[in-house]
Amino acid sequence: MQADIIKAGWLRATIERVILFVALAAIWEISVVAFNVKPYLLPRLSTVVESIWTFRTTLLIQSLVTANEIILGYIAAVIGGIILSLIIYAWPLARRTVYPLVVLFQGLPKIALAPLMIIWMGYGTSSKVFIAFLFAFFPVVISTLGGLSGTPQNLVEHFRSIRAGTWTTFWRLQLPAALPSIMDGCKTAMPLAVIGAIVGEFVGSERGLGYLILDATAQAKTDMLFAALIAVSVLAGLLYWVVEILADRVWWRSL
Amino acid sequence: MSADIAPPVPAQEAAAEAGVRVVNVAKTFGSPPAVRALEHVNFEIARGELVALLGPSGCGKSTLLRIVAGLVQADPGGAIEVLGRQQTEPSPGVSVVFQTHNMLPWLTVEANIRLAAEIQKLDRAEIDSRVESVLSVLRLENFRKSYPHQLSGGMRQRAALGQALILRPQLLLLDEPFGALDALTRDQLNVELLRIWQEIRKTVLLVTHSIAEAVFLADRVLVMSDRPGRIIEDIRIDLPRPRDPRTTKALPEFSRYIIQLNRIMGVD
Ligand SMILES: Nc1ncnc2c1ncn2[C@@H]1O[C@H](COP(=O)(O)OP(=O)(O)OP(=O)(O)O)[C@@H](O)[C@H]1O
Ligand SMILES: [Mg+2]
Repeated sequence: MQADIIKAGWLRATIERVILFVALAAIWEISVVAFNVKPYLLPRLSTVVESIWTFRTTLLIQSLVTANEIILGYIAAVIGGIILSLIIYAWPLARRTVYPLVVLFQGLPKIALAPLMIIWMGYGTSSKVFIAFLFAFFPVVISTLGGLSGTPQNLVEHFRSIRAGTWTTFWRLQLPAALPSIMDGCKTAMPLAVIGAIVGEFVGSERGLGYLILDATAQAKTDMLFAALIAVSVLAGLLYWVVEILADRVWWRSL
Repeated sequence: MSADIAPPVPAQEAAAEAGVRVVNVAKTFGSPPAVRALEHVNFEIARGELVALLGPSGCGKSTLLRIVAGLVQADPGGAIEVLGRQQTEPSPGVSVVFQTHNMLPWLTVEANIRLAAEIQKLDRAEIDSRVESVLSVLRLENFRKSYPHQLSGGMRQRAALGQALILRPQLLLLDEPFGALDALTRDQLNVELLRIWQEIRKTVLLVTHSIAEAVFLADRVLVMSDRPGRIIEDIRIDLPRPRDPRTTKALPEFSRYIIQLNRIMGVD
């Protein structure tokens, strides 16, 4: 009974989405024909779909290149960000010295650093991974710190009264209490890691979806450009979806 | 001090006289502007006694309870002795229940109740058996797998009591444990509290706003003045035990105590 209702709701939401999607696709296709838009400005959707099919191997390979950079940079940002936050949180000296630096760096437009990273680390994967890391790192740090210092005071007092030590309080109270906020940071960080990797490929690369976008633009192959954009969107959507599934396991976020 | 001459007094026997002894305790918060919360507070609670602490809002009841719990430091000059020890930090044998429940939202009722015992590194089998008895005493067996947000306010406070009882405390400090509940639920929980206390007979200090609650439950009622809080009255409640809501509240002495306390607190 309950399951039926849930299923019906899901089905309905899916149908609504498909209808919207088809409608937008139709508007695209029809208006390009109706207004006689030049293909180099906006190709017909059917042409774009065709080139996705034609270049499917290229798209897949370049997507994997970019995905690899994003995932490595993202994981490094999450792990590094959480570790740095813990150090800043637990160690007053780091709080006084490192934390202001973090705030300073966070304000810096990371995009401006990308060319330097290419000079330092070359045209290969590592510079893109590092730029993705730079983009994703700070939100993780800020939200982890926010979560840790936001532990409800009454619970801290409760842990004191049951004579819990520092470690116990950390593992059993502060960390789980901070998890919702940490997960928010991880969700914010994922699209930023995508941007970082693409920016890195724009600045200096011979591979990846960012490179494909620049290459298609240079050759005025707008259908190819759109195919690459769609690949980027699908990739970013997939990665975000994975993070969101993980974040949903921290169900007490909404309480 | 010569250990040879002094007769060997077992520490526990010496301590057995008082559950809580508070001597000349004062507390000032912050500066400036400093808030004088407590001044010259003196009282004693015998072991096994249930004492209610009554007083107007903001007079320092919670502060006093926290000081007795070792969670807040009193101003220098006073002395707090709990279960025969000087109290400077939270000590074993003492459990506190606050007005707002302290359950972790990510743990079930059962896991929340276990928590304190796990942190004290009690034996696993011991914890299991204690949890069973606490759940049954508090009639929470059917809700053991629920999460705090799935409970009613009354059940939540009952579970909070379970969090304290699991440690089998010698001294139970209750800060308006049912204060946030409606009058009916509150009366019911008071009856349950009384039933539990009549079984375990531990020392209890209960902070409350309610005169009727204090008279119904307590052996003694301490009345505090407005801020800075002092103990201005210490009234022994000589109502027979076991008490139960219908007969006890029907006694003429019950009404007399209520009238007396109403007068003291200036609410008649
Ligand atoms: N941590 C604190 N810092 C500063 N002032 C405090 C602190 N805790 C309590 N106070 C002050 O001490 C006074 C007594 O507070 P307390 O909470 O003990 O009152 P109470 O008698 O429990 O009141 P209520 O019945 O409303 O719970 C208040 O004026 C309060 O503002
Ligand atoms: Mg209070």
